[in-house]
Amino acid sequence: MEADATNAGVGVRTLGGRLAEGRLVPLFLKELTQLGRNRRLVVMLVVPPTIQLLLFGFALNPEVTGLRLAVVDQSRTPESRQVVSAFASSGSFVIPAQFASAEQAGASISNGDADAALVIPFDFAERRVRGDTATVQLLLDATNANTAAIAGGYAARIVESLNRSLLAEVPRAARPIGLTTTVTLLYNPGLLNSWFITTGLIGTLLVLVGSLVASGSLVVEKETGTIEQLLMTPASATEIIVAKMAPLLLLLTADIVIALSVARIVFDVPVRGSLALFGVAGILCVLSGIGIGTFIATFTKSQQQAQLMGFFVNPPIALLSGVVTPIEAMPEWIRPFTLVNPVRHFATISRGVLLKGAGLDVLYPHLLALVAAAVLLVGISAWRFRKQFG
Amino acid sequence: MTQGDRPRESTAAPVERLRESAVSVRDLRKSYGTVEAVRGIDLDVSAGEIFGLIGPDGAGKTSTFQILAGVMAETSGDVQIFGRSPVEARPAVGYLSQAFSLYLDLSVAENIRYIGSLRRLGVSEIDERGDHYLEMFDMLRFRDRLAGRLSGGMKQKLALVCALIARPRLLLLDEPTTGVDPVSRREFWDALAELSGMGMTIVVATPYLDEAERCGRLALMHQGRLHDSGTPGEVRRRPRLKRIRVRTGNLEAAERILETASGVRDTQRFGDSLDVMVDETDGGEAVAREALAREGVDISDLRTEPPTLENAFVAVLRSLGGEIVVPPFPFDRTRSPVQSGKVAIGAYGVRKWFGSFQAVDDVTVEVRHGEVYGLLGANGAGKTTTIKMLCGLLGPTSGDIELAGERGSLRTAEVRSRIGYMSQKFSLYDDLTIAENLRFFAGVYGVPRGERDRRISWVLEASGLVGRESLMTSSLPGGWKQRVAFGASLMHAPSVLFLDEPTSGVDPLARRALWKMINAMADRGVAILVTTHYLEEAEQCNRLGFMAAGAIVAEGSPTQMKARMGGRLLEVQVGDARRATLALREAFGSQRVSQFGDRVHVHVDTPVEIAGARIRGLLAEHAIDVARLDDIGFSLEDVFIDVVNRARDSGGRETA
Repeated sequence: MEADATNAGVGVRTLGGRLAEGRLVPLFLKELTQLGRNRRLVVMLVVPPTIQLLLFGFALNPEVTGLRLAVVDQSRTPESRQVVSAFASSGSFVIPAQFASAEQAGASISNGDADAALVIPFDFAERRVRGDTATVQLLLDATNANTAAIAGGYAARIVESLNRSLLAEVPRAARPIGLTTTVTLLYNPGLLNSWFITTGLIGTLLVLVGSLVASGSLVVEKETGTIEQLLMTPASATEIIVAKMAPLLLLLTADIVIALSVARIVFDVPVRGSLALFGVAGILCVLSGIGIGTFIATFTKSQQQAQLMGFFVNPPIALLSGVVTPIEAMPEWIRPFTLVNPVRHFATISRGVLLKGAGLDVLYPHLLALVAAAVLLVGISAWRFRKQFG
Repeated sequence: MTQGDRPRESTAAPVERLRESAVSVRDLRKSYGTVEAVRGIDLDVSAGEIFGLIGPDGAGKTSTFQILAGVMAETSGDVQIFGRSPVEARPAVGYLSQAFSLYLDLSVAENIRYIGSLRRLGVSEIDERGDHYLEMFDMLRFRDRLAGRLSGGMKQKLALVCALIARPRLLLLDEPTTGVDPVSRREFWDALAELSGMGMTIVVATPYLDEAERCGRLALMHQGRLHDSGTPGEVRRRPRLKRIRVRTGNLEAAERILETASGVRDTQRFGDSLDVMVDETDGGEAVAREALAREGVDISDLRTEPPTLENAFVAVLRSLGGEIVVPPFPFDRTRSPVQSGKVAIGAYGVRKWFGSFQAVDDVTVEVRHGEVYGLLGANGAGKTTTIKMLCGLLGPTSGDIELAGERGSLRTAEVRSRIGYMSQKFSLYDDLTIAENLRFFAGVYGVPRGERDRRISWVLEASGLVGRESLMTSSLPGGWKQRVAFGASLMHAPSVLFLDEPTSGVDPLARRALWKMINAMADRGVAILVTTHYLEEAEQCNRLGFMAAGAIVAEGSPTQMKARMGGRLLEVQVGDARRATLALREAFGSQRVSQFGDRVHVHVDTPVEIAGARIRGLLAEHAIDVARLDDIGFSLEDVFIDVVNRARDSGGRETA
């Protein structure tokens, strides 16, 4: 044993050299045994990712349905009824009541009885017959700006498709009816569905679970005092941290498979590109998570503290990633910060690979960013651990 | 043994019979599933008594306490507290469990008020009683301090005040002083003596035998049964053994010879002496002298001393078949033992600052190969910081440290492969089995593959766990875990060994087995540094260093340390120990007088005859009968408390 140590020298010792000395093996075995025996951990690796994917996949779907539309049809002509029925049959709007005047409809919005109002003026039919632009008015409850924007978008689409069918029907009436609306569209709501959410959410979950498990397994050694015992063995801080991270990486790789399976089976997410690329990105994401967890563990003394600190660190990572809220919807000044967020890059790669079938030639900047994030996070946390205990 | 003895005890103390019965237990049993924790105990405690339940972890003490406190139901048997059931008697009972709950972010007064309000007492009443007890325990000046910033002993006393606030008639204290340093422990027991004097009944569990000495009566609890109850004096005398203390230059040889000499029942090695237990009727001294002379071992001193409580308990436990035979360590025969005498651990002018707080101040220590060095100190004296620096876990702010022949870089794998370390909090992985733990440590320490199985089975044998190696470590009681941990730290045959409080919660027999192993290691040239709160254990070290306020304030062998004390220690056995204590405190000062059951210890400076006459005179004035007055000599605890108090008073250190 002593002879081995001297032969290996104090210089640059390779991982292979360390393995030959045989310390990594027992450390690794110990971690694996402990992880294997930790039922809560196994549950934590499987249940929350699955449930969250299902939950968010279904619940965070931003399609709006069943908006209550108050209709004021002052024209009362077949033409105006055509517009009303286009709204009613879209599935996005239901029409609970008709009103005589725009004022009454407005009052019903402010009472909260309706979310929007459609006002069709007296001269609607006449204008159409004359071939002028016929105008309808849409009033939106903008209390929830997001819903209002989406509703506005729907209305625009409904009217557009109505125009198209009218044009096809009556080719000589070259003038389309118009709908004046001042709603700005931030993104096309139709594209935002469960595919978009789940492909991005996988990254959030990998980082979240990775950081929780890593901080937990390290902090518990600090809490029970076994870390001192470990540090008094010939094992170096680097060996200890490597032996801590490696089994976690192995286990969490299973999470990538689970998450992708859920997305594939439940939400029918396609896999159009290279699974290997997706896998590599996933592993880098897990590594970033482990890095974050280890980093948290070096700052905390108990599992409780580590969890609280996790609450502080993880939500910004999840929210500033473009997984749920588009980055383009964030204020200008905060957007650069999302560039250092591994989840953002993972989401881009994941969507690119799974939905678009994009390859490395397009996605390499994001993969490089992910590599940089993983190396940096693992490096900094290992350095902090060594500084604290080495 | 217990049942049969009771009538005899009552004749020994006829006064006790007249007192009201506080606790009466008949054939109490408690089972958890198939595990029988309490296996039929009988217990009688009179009002105003301090009754000690002594026993190792897992003996059933805590279960008994929970039943007495009325917080857990018994499986069978009859329990009466002041003639009522435990649940009915609950308002009259104060219970301090092992994990008592002080609110560390509340002040002393706020803690008391909170507990008082739970008992539905008025604010003025709470404050009045609280202040009364705080004053009694010398804590009134800390009224507004946060509980979290109190020392260990103070916290314990605050918990006691909280338990007292409802004026209980019976106090149940479950290991109230575990992890508390000797100075605080003595203060705590002084407070208990005071309460008992005021008529309160106290039942206390403790693993410390020096604390057992302070009980009026005690019983040894072992595997759910009570054995050997009586006053400390009765218990000590019961095995009918004589203790012969041998001092010699070659303890190892002397122990080897006397262990097997005829008539010798037991031997126990201490730091600079050897205790030999012989039957009371035997020749004793002459036998030992002869045996040693035959083998040519020089004796520097040999005398008969009264047996200790530990001697008595060891005799009882042995008769119950709890003996642990420690097999010899399977040393690698190709490696020669380390040269004894060479410096293994050296600290030279070591200081450590944490910000503006100086934790360690100019510590210089040398521990040589083959030596057992004990580092003692009150909580917060800087012991843990010092040991962390010595073993390289923490860098000193200034000063040099030498470890296993290495200076400078102590954190190399090479150095650490020669060091064994057992930390205080310990240190085995609860979620691994015993065998997995041992395999892990053998692997990570690089024990040669061919040796591993042999070393692992040695640890299992030495800790009495053969055949149980696939048990989950978390299912072991604390004391057993300590033993496995100790074995684990020895597996790679280190040449330097750090043991941070290795025996807390370990029963006397296991502790002896542990010290046998420590001594065997030292005989092979291993340098051993031990920290402990336990002064009986400190007796086993070759050399001791006492720490106070970050500095080593005294150093020497146990005998040298005791010789440092000026004056003598007299033990006075009296009819009314409480009144005697009060009277003597007035004359000698409260620091110098402590009550031990029905005896009072007085530290005097004048020659024994003069001091004895003065004590007798004083007690005669108060009409207190003196049954006996003995010159008993100081215990290490007396020395320790004296040294620490003096260092505290002078704010500096004395010359070693």
